[in-house]
Amino acid sequence: MLIDLQALRRVYHMGGSEVVALDELDLQIPAGEFVTIMGPSGSGKSTLMHLLGCLDRPTAGRYVLDGVEVQALQDLELSRLRNQKVGFVFQSFNLIAQLSVSENVQLPLVYAGVRPPERRRRAQELLDAVGLCQRQAHRPNELSGGERQRVAIARALANRPKLLLADEPTGNLDSKTGLGIMKLFEELHQDGTTLVLVTHDPGVAEWSDRVVRMLDGRVESDTSVRLREAGASSGEWREVG
Amino acid sequence: MMRIGVKNLFLHKLRTALTMLGVIFGVGAVIAMLSIGEGARRQAVEQIRLLGTNNIRIHHVELGGEAAAAADYRYSPGLTAGDEKMLRAKLPTLCALSAIRFLDVSVQRAGHEPAGVVVVGVNDEYDDLTNSRTRRGRFISWLDARYARRVCVLGAEIARDLFGVQDALDRRVRIGEEEFLVVGVMERKSVATGGVLEMRNINRDVYIPVAAALKRFTDPDFPDRVDEIAVQVSDAASVVPSSRVIDRILEKSHRGVHDYEIVIPDELLAQSQRTQRIFNIVMGSIAALSLLVGGIGIMNIMLASVTERTREIGIRRAIGASERDILGQFLNETLLIALAGGLIGIVLGAGMAFAIHLFASWETVVSPVAVLVSFGISASVGVIFGLYPARQAAQKDPIEALRYE
Ligand SMILES: Nc1ncnc2c1ncn2[C@@H]1O[C@H](COP(=O)(O)OP(=O)(O)O)[C@@H](O)[C@H]1O
Ligand SMILES: [Mg+2]
Repeated sequence: MLIDLQALRRVYHMGGSEVVALDELDLQIPAGEFVTIMGPSGSGKSTLMHLLGCLDRPTAGRYVLDGVEVQALQDLELSRLRNQKVGFVFQSFNLIAQLSVSENVQLPLVYAGVRPPERRRRAQELLDAVGLCQRQAHRPNELSGGERQRVAIARALANRPKLLLADEPTGNLDSKTGLGIMKLFEELHQDGTTLVLVTHDPGVAEWSDRVVRMLDGRVESDTSVRLREAGASSGEWREVG
Repeated sequence: MMRIGVKNLFLHKLRTALTMLGVIFGVGAVIAMLSIGEGARRQAVEQIRLLGTNNIRIHHVELGGEAAAAADYRYSPGLTAGDEKMLRAKLPTLCALSAIRFLDVSVQRAGHEPAGVVVVGVNDEYDDLTNSRTRRGRFISWLDARYARRVCVLGAEIARDLFGVQDALDRRVRIGEEEFLVVGVMERKSVATGGVLEMRNINRDVYIPVAAALKRFTDPDFPDRVDEIAVQVSDAASVVPSSRVIDRILEKSHRGVHDYEIVIPDELLAQSQRTQRIFNIVMGSIAALSLLVGGIGIMNIMLASVTERTREIGIRRAIGASERDILGQFLNETLLIALAGGLIGIVLGAGMAFAIHLFASWETVVSPVAVLVSFGISASVGVIFGLYPARQAAQKDPIEALRYE
């Protein structure tokens, strides 16, 4: 198992009251799987993603990522883990406006201690892979939404992470652009990257191996699907493509 | 990657410049202060070297009004060559002793008369007293002094003015209405101008035996009057005690009339350095205040910058920056501002030192140590006032930072 969550709790304290965002959640994800997480707003999806991405620590429970007990780690080790094993893709892209496209992609390599020439070479490769080799020197605000998300994906892949996390990556994109992004994810999945993706869109979910539905901080349902292989062509993404 | 901070600094040029102002002035004040202090120190050392060490100077004081009447009544003739003889007799342990008489007469050769010449009557110990040597020939000898011979020793500049490249030795010059034989030419001495001790350009001195000065250029009212008696004692420790003894002897022989004044150059210099200390305290306070204001300004700007860049901090954290990385990033930026301010301040301070040198004609020296100290101070300001904003940045919750709009 790449990811093993056992009785994971995350409780927020708001003034006097407590908000239980994750409630004794159990979840296992093997390496190489493409998992979609769905559920109503406030069901704890983002909280789960932050925990999976080592950006946050659980209130209680156990999280083993690639053999490492995450809940026990201090900031320095947690940051290193985040840098090396996890790639984040956000709904709002989260690129740094003052840096060029190439510099944005290089940023995880900076924190990994990679030397500048090697960094530039890797950034070039990554941007080639997402089809943006011509845009290296541009600023993020000179790109379209789809292009920005590709840059964000290239950045997420910079340290060749085992786990790629995407919280509603197509949420800010029109359906055609979203489809392009989903194709990119599919390619990454084919290459063996483990993907965990949050979405509200049933069409997006169709791309994955498995759909986990959440409700009130718990897993409501957990179903393996392979709709495309089953030949069902009902997803709206497909129709656009 | 780390250049965002620098880019921001350039983006907000005015803001950055204003932020640096405190550090600039603080460091400027430090540099100016240190360079004035160093200049004064070197000048003091130089002047002591020039005057001769372990000197005591006795000046004649011109009395007026009732004091003059009292002096007349008590038959005190002021400072005289007789005082010198008496001191020599009563204090045989003194190293060197010379009466000094300044004459306001012209010096000329073949009708050529250089300006700014001071004719000084001295005796044979004057050269030892003042650490000076002849370059050519000899100084005034004991016999010259004894027999009031018409011989002279020329200061380096006067020798050049009168004789050019020719040898002045054994030639004659006209001093006032009398012919004097040149027996020596002095070595050139560097002259520190300004400072506590009013220094004349001794390279334009012409020395003649003091006895000759009294005999040939007699002041009919005060035939034996000298302007100064210079005394040298063997070591620094005996300067003050000797000056007391001299005072007591003169007090008695002048019958209690204070028509003389005892000056200890070393003391004067020490005193001037005490004055310097007051100046240092004032400048130091200005510097400290500027640096404090500057530091708080930097802290303020950095806090604003941290808030402005909350989202960037969240992004960096998400892709693997640790708290320490973020801390380092912001600390570096503050350090950069402070060091840049320090650099400008050093230039400003050096400029101030130069201006002070020009307009107040104080000696100023910008020493490498002062520059290093200033850089150290700037760096300290950067670290001290950068730490709080940098910690604020590092301790931001990554998830909240990512949500920040
Ligand atoms: N920083 C926070 N402080 C307090 N409550 C929070 C915080 N973040 C999330 N929550 C609460 O936790 C629950 C789950 O939130 P979230 O994980 O963002 O859900 P989702 O992403 O599924 O919409 C919600 O009730 C939300 O209000
Ligand atoms: Mg969410």
